[in-house]
Amino acid sequence: MGLRIEVTKVAKAYNGNPVLRDCSYNFAPGLTYALQGPNGSGKSTLLRFLALLEAPDTGSVDYLENSTVLPINLELRRRFTLVLPRPGIFNTTVFNNVAYGLKIRGVKSGEIEARVDTILETVGLSHKRSQRALDLSSGETKRLGLARAMVLAPEILFLDEPTANIDPLNTDIIEEIILKMKAGGQTTILLITHDPAQAERLGDRLLLMKEGKLVPG
Amino acid sequence: MMTKMVLILALIGALLIVANVAAAETRLRCASTTSTENSGLFKYLLPIFEKKTGIHVDVVAVGTGAAIEIGKRGDADVVFVHAKEQELKAVEEGYFVNRHDVMYNDFVIIGPASDPAKISGMKSAPEAFGKIAAAGGPFVSRGDKSGTNTKELAIWKAAGIDPKGQKWYLEAGQGMEKTQRVANEKKAYTLTDRGTWLATKDKDKLEMVIVLEKDPVLFNQYGVMAVNPEKHKQVKYHEAMQFVDWLISPEGQQAIAGFKDARGNQLFIPNAK
Amino acid sequence: MTEFFLFLSQINPGELWGIVWLSLWVSGAGLLLATALALPLAALLALKRFPGRDAVVNILHTFMGLPPVVLGLLLYLLLSRAGPLGVLGLLYTPTAMILAQTILALPIVAALAHSAIVNVDPVVRQAAVTLGATARQQAFTVIREARYGIVSGIMAGFGRANAELGAVLIVGGNIAGYTRVMTTSIALETDKGNFELGIVLGLILLALSLLVNLALRRLQKRGQSAGAELSSWA
Repeated sequence: MGLRIEVTKVAKAYNGNPVLRDCSYNFAPGLTYALQGPNGSGKSTLLRFLALLEAPDTGSVDYLENSTVLPINLELRRRFTLVLPRPGIFNTTVFNNVAYGLKIRGVKSGEIEARVDTILETVGLSHKRSQRALDLSSGETKRLGLARAMVLAPEILFLDEPTANIDPLNTDIIEEIILKMKAGGQTTILLITHDPAQAERLGDRLLLMKEGKLVPG
Repeated sequence: MMTKMVLILALIGALLIVANVAAAETRLRCASTTSTENSGLFKYLLPIFEKKTGIHVDVVAVGTGAAIEIGKRGDADVVFVHAKEQELKAVEEGYFVNRHDVMYNDFVIIGPASDPAKISGMKSAPEAFGKIAAAGGPFVSRGDKSGTNTKELAIWKAAGIDPKGQKWYLEAGQGMEKTQRVANEKKAYTLTDRGTWLATKDKDKLEMVIVLEKDPVLFNQYGVMAVNPEKHKQVKYHEAMQFVDWLISPEGQQAIAGFKDARGNQLFIPNAK
Repeated sequence: MTEFFLFLSQINPGELWGIVWLSLWVSGAGLLLATALALPLAALLALKRFPGRDAVVNILHTFMGLPPVVLGLLLYLLLSRAGPLGVLGLLYTPTAMILAQTILALPIVAALAHSAIVNVDPVVRQAAVTLGATARQQAFTVIREARYGIVSGIMAGFGRANAELGAVLIVGGNIAGYTRVMTTSIALETDKGNFELGIVLGLILLALSLLVNLALRRLQKRGQSAGAELSSWA
């Protein structure tokens, strides 16, 4: 059961410089993967391919369920989500930011209120519920980005550097949230980090991006 | 969001239609000149006509040439201007019918109270211009191709003088009131219409006097004519003729004579035949 | 101040009120129409790729500088009885003036809204995608993010429409009690040499402009004090 991702011989070059080459890997459901690698090694690019934000030059990314390849459509896209390094916060309230994904899915407003409030509690932003989201600190912004994704209860959660450029306190809070999610066992998590210790703390599987390929770290 | 926009568009459309229907009472459109409108004549005259006939007259006040052109294109029902030659030509071309003289006002030559060129007592405007030129002016012209300017140039022509470029000849390029002020400053002569002169000489503290008037050359004839319904079927010819007939009737003529400026001066002399 | 009212008393209050009301109606309706047309156009230009897109943007920017008198003349020839749309009988009506205002305001609103939408951080759209937005929802999210810039565009459009003289004079005819608005009244009074009254009318026009801008600015601010926006957003 669950969504499995098959990456097959994915390649990508920017201006003739290859970033990913023949990168293949199978991501199993329910596990937490921690992906490391130097800047520019193609980690973020891979994540964007996995989240179907962009397509590789060659090779394929397939989503499988019960050994069947799923068609790429809105239904599939709504089963996973990616939190970008700069989360792309909307210029509205904290509440509205978190409610966004639910509203566009047509969830009833009563349910939205309840679910959003629960998540805001989880990430510790309940007291900022009605504030303008763009006024949050960088740590709070990261947490808001996470909350916005978590409220959708995705089967797969891609996190591109969830704790980059924030203070230790906020880093702790975010790791706590990820660990709690991991403990729930419902979500496949794939996160990019530059901190080996963090990778150890969070990851079931450690991966390294090396010469355009994914290798066990 | 999309539906809201469609709604707004529909609403405005509906309002526009309603507004146009509401406007569809008996309205007659008269093309006239800015100077006529500015004199206040229409404001005085039209309510009297409307009271009698129930016809509301909308005045579009533009330059003489534009007023005739608007009539030619059928964008007005009746034209009321002061350019007799052009009017007669347009009638001849078949654009208008039933042209009638309605009234006139006149131009006067004004100059410094000291009258350095000794014009006072003369009868002929061209001769007076000749004397001004001989005395070295100065003379201030509107220089703006207005009706007054056209009249002035015709008088120079009749006098056999080409004033352009002479150092005593100044072109103001301004409206009548400003031109008078310039003439006052320069202790110069100028040609003005009696209406403007009467309305502004005290207000602007002009130290000038009329040095010549009543030469028939200086008369400014106003005429009215209906747009030819055979050229433009949609014109309100019947109403237009009611307006024309009223203007030239004893009643309309009396109304024109009764129009006075704020100081009680009569500005137009009715002369319909 | 006494002088202000002294000059004002030269116009009867009913007439003045009619002129003010018509001014607001003509530029307001023109602006609404322009906005209703400009926003979808701006969104299309900003969010969709199609051949000729740059050309359309260039045309919009060119028409931002269209001299109103030229537009007025073109519209006059179009709406004149002798012109192609003469049968509609629209010349010298408020409708013709609204049409002129619409055409004048449209390029400004569209161009400014376009640049507001284009300048929205691309990460906003990506965030919408990752959260499961359809193409349509992505577009609306990006447009909503540009709303302050769009309101500025609408304000600029109102400025253009409200201050405009040349076009409404030609297609409206400045008919007393029917198509006379603030700007054409000012031109008329200036022509008559009533400069003081012209200035007083100008001050009223400015005051009107201020009121409308304050109203629009309020609308713009509403999003920034986010609480009030909870219900209206998304």
